[in-house]
Amino acid sequence: MSIFKKFLNFKGIIGITLVLCVVLIAIFAPLIIPPEFATKMDMRARLSPPNMAHWMGTDQLGRDLFYRVMLGARTSINIATSAVLMSLVIGLPLGLVSGYFGGRTDNVLMRLVDTLLSFPALLLALTISAVLGPNLQNTIIAIGIAFTPYLARLIRGEALRVAQMPYVEAARSSGATNSRLIIGHVLPNIMPVVIVQSTISLAFAILAEAGLSFLGLGTQPPEASWGLMIQASRDYLDRAPWTALVPGTAVALTVLGLNMFGDVLRDVLDPRSQS
Amino acid sequence: MAYFIQRLLSMAVTLFLISIITFTVTNILPGDVAMMIMGTQSNPAALANLRENLGLNDPLVYQYGRWIFGMLTGDWGNSLLFKQPIGPIILQKMTASALIVLLSMTIALTLAVPLGVWSAVYKNRWQDTASSSVSILGVSLPDFFWGIMLILLFARALGWFPSSGFVHPNEDFLMALKHAFLPSLALGLGLMAHLTRMTRATMTGILSQEFIRVARAKGLAEKTVIWQYGLANAIGPVMTVAGLQMGYLFGSIIVMESLFNYTGMGWLTYQALLNRDMPLIQATVFVIAAVVMLVNLIVDLLYPFFDPRIQLK
Repeated sequence: MSIFKKFLNFKGIIGITLVLCVVLIAIFAPLIIPPEFATKMDMRARLSPPNMAHWMGTDQLGRDLFYRVMLGARTSINIATSAVLMSLVIGLPLGLVSGYFGGRTDNVLMRLVDTLLSFPALLLALTISAVLGPNLQNTIIAIGIAFTPYLARLIRGEALRVAQMPYVEAARSSGATNSRLIIGHVLPNIMPVVIVQSTISLAFAILAEAGLSFLGLGTQPPEASWGLMIQASRDYLDRAPWTALVPGTAVALTVLGLNMFGDVLRDVLDPRSQS
Repeated sequence: MAYFIQRLLSMAVTLFLISIITFTVTNILPGDVAMMIMGTQSNPAALANLRENLGLNDPLVYQYGRWIFGMLTGDWGNSLLFKQPIGPIILQKMTASALIVLLSMTIALTLAVPLGVWSAVYKNRWQDTASSSVSILGVSLPDFFWGIMLILLFARALGWFPSSGFVHPNEDFLMALKHAFLPSLALGLGLMAHLTRMTRATMTGILSQEFIRVARAKGLAEKTVIWQYGLANAIGPVMTVAGLQMGYLFGSIIVMESLFNYTGMGWLTYQALLNRDMPLIQATVFVIAAVVMLVNLIVDLLYPFFDPRIQLK
């Protein structure tokens, strides 16, 4: 009961509503909206401002922005979720092992992680994407790899802290093996931090995808992506500012929702960090 | 001094690792430099010949050795795209980017520190809510979106600043600042958000401490208590976070300089990546990572200056 109550403040309600809306749109928009709605070009209605026929106006090819931004939600959520999952799959075991065993393993692994952290995440993602060839799958790999060192570093710190707790000591003295200690005792106790960090990473992944696509090294046309839509709007800013405002607002609302949700999640799951 | 030497040694190791990662990542590229010079339609015999001449048939370890030796001795090779030696290009672009990086950090700090202090002083009142809302909005908008909005407002509608291009500070300092201002502001607004949150958190902690109560009890002006007693103690962690943000900044300049056609390091990296100019990619990525590491070292060394209680060991 008290946990649910903690979500029910201003920030929590807005955050959850925004995240829920975007996720629902990402799941259902492609099922409800026929794909040709977003690709149908109407040259007579090029760059038309929001009106009854096109609620959010049209882009430079006369495509309806409302449908495109709805379908773009799936691309963004899909890429962000897969990328964060990928960095979790690599970063979680890495951080756990490093923090739990310490010593030489920790030194070597964290040296590597620290080196990776000297590369700005966006630079790393852009380079990987350019090297592998930009497409949807490689965008996921690029963002996933770029985010891994951050997660690994954080998880390592938490694992180190939890591994020294008396209850882990107690389990060890009653004969539990290392793998059992890691999976049964350390992992469940670092989960709150992992969940909070993953939520916030999702927000960053959405921004990263938009940035990569904006530079043409992420999602490729004709796929609908918010970053690509902003990229396309650059040449028409004077005549049709809505072509940038619509996808920009979509990114902002999604990231805003995830950030607020992450903040509230932290207050609920990780009471130590409460300000 | 011992600390300094230790840090330098550790920096050398990290630089070595950075060079290995850079070299490995760029060598996964399908197609090699010879192919890029001659094009995919070229004569296979000539291609093989060029490969041999460029040493591309040597084992990777040899190639790495040759590359890192060149980097260390100042021979950075030629850019395939610009057909010029890489060293001077990077030096020139670095100057351009330094202007943007410094300007955006200055903008971010001048806005974030007062806003964060204000937030902490009026904790949980409307002033705090207002400042938190501004900063959460700042982190939530992609910085290139800020860039586009600023172009619309200040370049197109008001015409106060140019929307693209770069002028070297040596030619005309005022024009250089004008060209750098909008991209720096866009970057600064994104940075500001993190720094405001950090300032607020640190200040909140400090304002609840005993020595602040003592300062108030002995009748010091509230202004002195907050700015001299409070902020002096809070500025250290804020500067550390600002230093860490340098990494983020050097990633963001790639997007921002491309948006504003500001020909600095970010623009150069983007051109190198787009055109698969391998020697240039290797050099820019290596240099950016090295600079980020160096900036963090400098911030660490400056720490005692912000907080005299800290001694470097």
